[in-house]
Amino acid sequence: MRAGRPEPHTLAGAYALDALAGADLARFERHLARCEHCAREISEFREVTARLATAAAAEPPPGLTGRALAAAARTRQLPPATRKDAARWPARHPARTRPAGSRSRAAGLLRRAWVPRLALAVAAAATAAAVLLGVAAGTAAHRIDEQQLRGHAIMAVLTAPDATMLSGRVTTGGTATIVMSRRQRVLVFAAAGLRPLPSSKCYELWLMGPGGDRAAGMLPDPRQGMTGPVIASDLKAGDHLGLAVEPAGGARQPGTTVILVIPL
Amino acid sequence: MGISDGHLWSPRCPACPDAPGIDLAVLLGQVARGDQDAFEAVCRQIAAPVFGAIRRMVRDRCQSEEVAQEVLIDVWRSASRFDAGRGSAMAWVMMIAHRRAVDRVRSEQRSAERELRAASAMIPYDDVAETVEASLDRERVRRCLGSLTELQRQAVTLAYYQGYTYRQVAGLLGVAAGTVNTRMRDGLIRLRDCLEVGR
Repeated sequence: MRAGRPEPHTLAGAYALDALAGADLARFERHLARCEHCAREISEFREVTARLATAAAAEPPPGLTGRALAAAARTRQLPPATRKDAARWPARHPARTRPAGSRSRAAGLLRRAWVPRLALAVAAAATAAAVLLGVAAGTAAHRIDEQQLRGHAIMAVLTAPDATMLSGRVTTGGTATIVMSRRQRVLVFAAAGLRPLPSSKCYELWLMGPGGDRAAGMLPDPRQGMTGPVIASDLKAGDHLGLAVEPAGGARQPGTTVILVIPL
Repeated sequence: MGISDGHLWSPRCPACPDAPGIDLAVLLGQVARGDQDAFEAVCRQIAAPVFGAIRRMVRDRCQSEEVAQEVLIDVWRSASRFDAGRGSAMAWVMMIAHRRAVDRVRSEQRSAERELRAASAMIPYDDVAETVEASLDRERVRRCLGSLTELQRQAVTLAYYQGYTYRQVAGLLGVAAGTVNTRMRDGLIRLRDCLEVGR
């Protein structure tokens, strides 16, 4: 056995905790397909993890069920599994696709005058986290180096040769800044001073263009007055970026309260 | 078959007094045939645990709601794939919910935004949800988690409640990856016996 490649069977726990990724996951799933004992053990572990989940139950937001019912009414259901599918239960659902930004690449030299400002904001967040982590858990501080490297998707946009910065005023208060790479068809969005919303509402980004409007993600809660960065990918010619106040949980179409529009 | 008694899985939260109701596995069978009333009853039973578990991992309110809604739609779409012979209905639902939350957390981990969230998730570190009301079920889970060794508990909770891979957990704790995966498995075996969810 090669170092770093654990005996597949010992990975049953990590698998049931969804703690395997990439090659580890693929290798274990191949093993699982012919290991009855593993399948039995994992199904017991799933009962355990379900208890961990239900122990965290919290009052759901009002309207969650209502929105799910409305969406279900227009969502086609899958046919029953074939024998082959059933043998793979619990099958993994296809990974959710998100606006994930461009491929990571080594961040080059910062090319433009405004880049240091944004880069500084990203770095400041990382530093703050490092300090907090250091205080909260001394053993965890070293991992920040690893996590800093994960800002690459954002750095790749900030340092793209064709990166352009645009900004706009949000009609309800605050300013939004975007950095966009047309060639990579990606933008990074950040905002400052957005008005806090009641718990029934959320900020949602939209890409609005001739080919139709696409939801581009919910904005996270602000931290120290700053919101983002959020990456939106798959930009198309003629798109506008819109920011709207939507019911918590998102909307199908941008609502009537679009509070920022930036032509891209 | 595994545990599928509705009452054993009731989240017993004040927000969902009618949660136990009809057996979840039976309802899923009706949902698989396109029964929207059954789906509404399913949502009443699973909304609180699904949302709570996602909120605990994803942290952010708006994004938690977005993921929770995706999970409910997944349950509607794939109800025909639930097989009661292979485990309880709640275990199946929570598997879907946890994977969705993990996908979201891992994609966030790729961005700098994750930094602050990781920090805020570490500070009020506690084995089981902080703000929700105490319940018998929750107390039992807490007690059983308390019966694990320190490393077993950290390995299980960092993976399950924070969405880290076992290799990340190993890096985080400064322990060999092989040690982490055996502790995860040992920890789950101990929890299984303590919670009496053996089949």
